[in-house]
Amino acid sequence: MGPVTLELPPRSPYVGVARLAIASLARRQGLHEEVVDDLLIAVSEAVTNALLATEEEGSDEAVTVRWDGGPDEVAVHILDRGRVYDPEAALDPSDTQSLRFTLSLALLQSLVDRCDFGPRDGGGMRTTLILNL
Amino acid sequence: MELGIAVKRIDSYSLVDVQGEIDVYTAPKLREKLIELVAEGSHDIVVNLEGVDFLDSTGLGVLVGALKRVKANDGSLSLVCTQDKILKIFKITGLTKVFPIHGSIDEATSSPE
Repeated sequence: MGPVTLELPPRSPYVGVARLAIASLARRQGLHEEVVDDLLIAVSEAVTNALLATEEEGSDEAVTVRWDGGPDEVAVHILDRGRVYDPEAALDPSDTQSLRFTLSLALLQSLVDRCDFGPRDGGGMRTTLILNL
Repeated sequence: MELGIAVKRIDSYSLVDVQGEIDVYTAPKLREKLIELVAEGSHDIVVNLEGVDFLDSTGLGVLVGALKRVKANDGSLSLVCTQDKILKIFKITGLTKVFPIHGSIDEATSSPE
């Protein structure tokens, strides 16, 4: 199955749309239901982080969710045009979003085999979730 | 995607029965209900998560916020949850040490908090 790309408006109802689409792709890939559940939480976290960063930036640019399912691994890329941040620095306790982000980071780092953050070319953030098959 | 919330009294407890998915879209509805309950004087709250299909960090944040509010009023907030996929979220985030989590409503409403 080749790559699939979704472009989502940066608004909260679309987090559920991302989950629905990824659930369908993951089941088509043949992932075990327990792995699908874990991946959906990780996707929800990453898309929520992307939406909030986009909102903070005052941008209305789409959040991109790209599924790339290969024989050895599944990669889900979440790309936004929001505020660029360092995930470790974002754990600043003076940040009102800090509790949610701390919990989000714990989930992202536990539920997939690898979670990478970084700046996106042209501005914004890129989060990559990797599942080894 | 809708979030169903029903509240009823069981003895001194307010039981908040939640149905559906709790994420960044639906969590504000739960937050408002919990704030409303505390403002009305309900300081011992049980949140039943048995009907919840999905929960992420936004929902966890709402529950932690409500716990802080009831504790500020010498109250309690406990959860009812037996679903492995939801319990896993609490375990990963360490919140099993923060919330009393019960296997049934009867257990939650008869436990001294």
